[in-house]
Amino acid sequence: MDELDLLKKDWKKQESSFQQIGEKEIYGMLHKRSSSIVKWIVIISVLELLLWLSISFLTADDKYTKTLELYHLDTFMPFMSVISYGVILFFIFLFFKNYKAINTTDNVKQLMQNILKTRKTVKYYVWYNLAMTAISMIIVFIFQFLYDPSIKKVIDNASSNIDPKTFYCIMLLVYAAVIIVFIGLIWLFYRLLYGILMRRLQKNYDELKKIDY
Amino acid sequence: MYMKSESEALFVKQLKENQNIIHKICRLYTTDEDAHKDLFQEITIQLWKAFPNFRGDSKFTTWAYRVGLNTAITLYRKKKRSIDTIEFDSTFHKVTQDDYNFEEEEKLKLLYSAISELNDIEKALVFLYLEDKDYTEISETLGISEVNARVKMNRVKGKLKKILNP
Repeated sequence: MDELDLLKKDWKKQESSFQQIGEKEIYGMLHKRSSSIVKWIVIISVLELLLWLSISFLTADDKYTKTLELYHLDTFMPFMSVISYGVILFFIFLFFKNYKAINTTDNVKQLMQNILKTRKTVKYYVWYNLAMTAISMIIVFIFQFLYDPSIKKVIDNASSNIDPKTFYCIMLLVYAAVIIVFIGLIWLFYRLLYGILMRRLQKNYDELKKIDY
Repeated sequence: MYMKSESEALFVKQLKENQNIIHKICRLYTTDEDAHKDLFQEITIQLWKAFPNFRGDSKFTTWAYRVGLNTAITLYRKKKRSIDTIEFDSTFHKVTQDDYNFEEEEKLKLLYSAISELNDIEKALVFLYLEDKDYTEISETLGISEVNARVKMNRVKGKLKKILNP
């Protein structure tokens, strides 16, 4: 018998030997596009970190360090930056881990769980960044209030005209307004950056849910 | 949205019924279970991406042959991690117990390992030959002329025989 005929015979025989893949698994494969969404989350978070880093490097001139010294924040602020970048790096690691997890699972249920986990991680990440911005702004404002000589001048001038209590109230309101507007802007930035990806993940999740239950 | 999930259901159903085509392609292009799964998934995704362009003027199977082989040849080649095709995992080749024939089994092992040494296009030719496709279909699937398909096929067959009977 010809070798190739033998091969053909064997080839025909193997038809029944393949482990058959069920519909659910196929659906799972189609919704693997979640993995590309999560990949984008990783990429964007890295780019974002680079953006913040480059902004802080570009703005860190002599004037900036002098201002920090003036506010008595010259040791605290760099310390805070290092910690916050560390936390951001940790988040990026988590995003990457989520991506790996989604990329390797072919089980619909697990895929759904991983999508939920990823959404949660992104949510925490955004909350963390907002909180961190608010806290550092509050700290800077407090120290500015305490140590900035020009602020002191304004206070001295103003207190001779108005009741100091009203003056401090107004100052507090102005600071609060500035913080809220700034945080709002950053929140908008994140909504734009991650919002689209999150909605796509959610859509994917909803479709998976239809299959599984 | 509604339309989309409807076509998705149709696709999944057809793919499930014809999944052996993909399994067989994976069988020829991969040497272990993990790679088999990987390629299966890759082909499934490529088929799904191409599904909107599948109008049903050719059979689902013919279309699946074409897209599947293209994926195996182009896409998979790019991401192939290592050149481990030379060593063919013999345990991966399942032996049916009832008609076990030692001599035939040895020959088959040799054949499969010889195939794993062929290049990706040659593997596609062997695959279509094993699937009993005529030259018209082979030329359509691989996008080459019938004459070219014939010439190439003879060359591959010769190559295999030479490997077996040096």
